[in-house]
Amino acid sequence: MGAQYKNSYKIYSAWNYEKEVEDLNKASEQGWQLVRGGCFHSRFVKNPGIQYRYQMDFRRIEDMGRYIETFREQGWEYINSTFNGWHYFRKLYDPTLPEEAYEIFTDRESLHDMSNRWARIALGIGIALALFAVLYCIKLIRQPNLPSLIQVLTFAIESIVLLRGWSIMRKPDSNRNRRGDSLFITVFFIVILLGASVSIVLSDLRPNLYTEQNSASIDQPIVDEQWLEFKIHYPDRYYLDVDIEASEPATIKVVDASGAVVYEVTETSFHKQDLPVKLSRGTYKLSLSCTSGFDVKCKVQ
Amino acid sequence: MKKNEPLSESYYYILLCLAKGANHGYGIMQMTEALSEGDVTIGSGTMYGATSNMMKKGWIREIMSDEPGFERRRLYQLTESGRDVLHQEIARLRRMLKNAQEV
Repeated sequence: MGAQYKNSYKIYSAWNYEKEVEDLNKASEQGWQLVRGGCFHSRFVKNPGIQYRYQMDFRRIEDMGRYIETFREQGWEYINSTFNGWHYFRKLYDPTLPEEAYEIFTDRESLHDMSNRWARIALGIGIALALFAVLYCIKLIRQPNLPSLIQVLTFAIESIVLLRGWSIMRKPDSNRNRRGDSLFITVFFIVILLGASVSIVLSDLRPNLYTEQNSASIDQPIVDEQWLEFKIHYPDRYYLDVDIEASEPATIKVVDASGAVVYEVTETSFHKQDLPVKLSRGTYKLSLSCTSGFDVKCKVQ
Repeated sequence: MKKNEPLSESYYYILLCLAKGANHGYGIMQMTEALSEGDVTIGSGTMYGATSNMMKKGWIREIMSDEPGFERRRLYQLTESGRDVLHQEIARLRRMLKNAQEV
């Protein structure tokens, strides 16, 4: 019979890493030994005949050989590292040894250095995300629409979570091991995934229509009317860029499926960008009509 | 010369354990425990952080052991500036102790 494996998809926040260590110790007591630790996915093998104690460290390693040797000297076996700089170690459990034998940080300074290393990174990313939130917010105010709103919310939530993590981790002896933080951090990753994918899909579903007519490009000086059909997948604000320069008045119209006019402009000279039109789900027509000496452009976004 | 910050207990013991010659991490840990009668221990995370930091500051350097049977084992060695730092710290501790006796 082959070895029995088990996967765990439990997510821990960085400021709750002691809880993860505690859970690894408990799993080992129950016969499940960590094979590979990860931020999103950990793997265990069944081996009830042995018991380990675990520790986690967070740092950028310059000399992996020296790092592993420093731990091995004190009985720590290196398991693996995550992509973002967490390292897992285990040590055979010996009930005759005092609990201090399973500590890897034996003074406050080194423990605080460790959480500060994480806190600094979280602060950097948190500020970057906050800046993105502000930039997208400006964009949202100028052009209110659903994808931008989702982007703003996503960046804002992620930035708040990271800045909260920073404020917990930078404080020495702060109230770590908060209850409910497992849920909190799971929500954090769901928000990233959902926020990013939903805003990409919604942006992609928006029409990206561009049409232009000018008298120089057409043989006949008179064009009656030209239709362009487009589909709206979800109700939102959409934006028109209109450019008209004609000797006789030219008309640009947006008409819904029932024939009702949603937007219309008839001018000889008209140049406007980001004209908001509220459209609901359905098929629309964009029509251009002009008679002579014209240059007409229209964009729908 | 710029006055050094007081050393942390771990840094102090690591430098002290290297004063009489190069040693490896485990040797430093054992010697520290023996000297302090078990009061001070240096865990692996603390040891790696402290040695990395002191190598960056140029207080210690890494050498390879050429002892038969222990070839290619990493050893730490005190540098001149590390020795200065240790002497300054000992002087500071002496003064503090002397002050305590005076009061």
